[in-house]
Amino acid sequence: MSGTPLLALTGLAVRYGNVQALRELDLEMHPGELVALLGSNGAGKSTTLRAISRLVRPSAGGITWRGRPLARASTEGTVRLGIGHCPEGRRVLARQSVATNLELGAYLRRDRQGIRADLERCYERFPRLAERRGQRAGSLSGGEQQMLAIARSLMGRPELLLLDEPSLGLAPKLVAEVMAILAELRRDGLTILLVEQNALAALAIADRGVVLEAGSVSLRGSAAELLANDALRASYLG
Amino acid sequence: MDHLLQILVNGLSAGAVYALFALGYTLVFSVLGVINFAHGAVFTLGAYFTYLLIGGPVGANGALAGFRLPFALPFWLALAVAGLGAALVSLLVEATAFAPLRRQRSDPLLTLISSLGAGVVLVNLVQILMGAESYAIPAGTLAGLPAAVNLGGATVRTVQLLLMGIAALVLVVLTLWLERSRSGKALQAVSEDPLMARLLGIPAGSMIRLAFAISGFLAGVAGGLVGLSVSIAGPYFGIGFGLKGLGVLVLGGLGSVPGAVLGGLVVGLAEALVPAEFSGTKDGVAYAFLFLMLMLRPQGLLGRPQSSKV
Ligand SMILES: Nc1ncnc2c1ncn2[C@@H]1O[C@H](COP(=O)(O)OP(=O)(O)O)[C@@H](O)[C@H]1O
Ligand SMILES: [Mg+2]
Repeated sequence: MSGTPLLALTGLAVRYGNVQALRELDLEMHPGELVALLGSNGAGKSTTLRAISRLVRPSAGGITWRGRPLARASTEGTVRLGIGHCPEGRRVLARQSVATNLELGAYLRRDRQGIRADLERCYERFPRLAERRGQRAGSLSGGEQQMLAIARSLMGRPELLLLDEPSLGLAPKLVAEVMAILAELRRDGLTILLVEQNALAALAIADRGVVLEAGSVSLRGSAAELLANDALRASYLG
Repeated sequence: MDHLLQILVNGLSAGAVYALFALGYTLVFSVLGVINFAHGAVFTLGAYFTYLLIGGPVGANGALAGFRLPFALPFWLALAVAGLGAALVSLLVEATAFAPLRRQRSDPLLTLISSLGAGVVLVNLVQILMGAESYAIPAGTLAGLPAAVNLGGATVRTVQLLLMGIAALVLVVLTLWLERSRSGKALQAVSEDPLMARLLGIPAGSMIRLAFAISGFLAGVAGGLVGLSVSIAGPYFGIGFGLKGLGVLVLGGLGSVPGAVLGGLVVGLAEALVPAEFSGTKDGVAYAFLFLMLMLRPQGLLGRPQSSKV
């Protein structure tokens, strides 16, 4: 692909004390792409997302957004720039209502009318959230909470959505439902970096994938290539 | 024998002070999960600010002996300005005793000590500048209002009504703000999940400062009103209230806004029920009562059960 990438990681490395969680990661994301970041537990997937959102400082390497380094940005700053991060474990605000969770997703936006319109569209896309809009988010089922977490990220109108293991702990039918929504968002033009352990589900909707193993890239390629790769099939697809 | 209504009014107005105190603790606790031990000192400063702003002179023992502001504000204005001054002091406490430790990501429990230190410094500053003597805010300050009214046989001092009214008003305004406004909801988000709040773009630092400013304002106003109600007994007079406010906070349920008010009223009433001839045992009764309540309901009256982190 050509042009300045939306997001570029070059030689990105992160340490937690003595633990080298990520090393030498190169990754470019172009507008409209859905990239799957795969790997087993502890491979460094969440760490990659945390580094992009400036929740952890890289020990080496750099991150650029539209060609500009992110090194000085705060976490709030990355949200302002258009990077939405839907973290591991959903993290809905359990004590707040569904509606308040969604409103807080639009915290940095000031266009009241746009927010109201997006809220309506969100309730159309996620009818179950509409039914439960006055309920405490903590009372929702796991699948509903995952939908809420995604919907809340969308309320911020991100250009890039970082999604951390949305399929975790969901029944297969719900996993399919979540992936269908992500595919639809991609068709609408959203750029998505999807972190998953469920490689099969993720590659089914992704343009390409990167596989991490103990902090290093072990494989990368188009979704079709990866799905046909014997080594990947053996270790992740079963 | 005291009239029952009299006891009720005395209890509720004392309880209103504790409630205002505990609300300030609650706000800061809900965003940081720690107690601000300088809160009592901010309350004390609010009382002294009010005294000075209505044109009161500094007594003979302070470094500022004989000083008096070149103007004298009416009580209401003085109280509001004192509240703002206390809010500034509270922000200063945040900047010196909380923010540096937070930037170094140290254990939040350490701020118990640094805020206690900030409180001691503030109280000593008052002692140096204003001396250790007591100051009275003259009755008759409430321009136009009678000092007391008679309600069905009970003599109710106007300042008692004010305290109750202001505590009720604060409860309503604070609840509406927290539940309805964008910044109130954001503050609750920081309180529930600081990391997620940051990922939503909510600036945690500003929310923390907001909580300190509001909490300081409430303490300052409470200080001024108590100064009017029972006089300022010296630089340390906030400490007793501070401790009881802390008990009230725990009784109401840590972090619960209605709990803080309910807890305040309950403790105020428990104290007021102590007969006048035993009034020396008031504090003992209040704390014994707190102790009993917490044995029965460790999470406080309106608190959520605390999940153990051990
Ligand atoms: N806060 C932390 N402190 C120390 N080590 C951590 C921390 N977070 C993650 N790690 C370690 O970093 C590595 C990568 O973690 P992570 O990025 O969460 O993996 P993944 O999301 O792929 O499961 C793991 O070895 C993990 O134990
Ligand atoms: Mg992870």
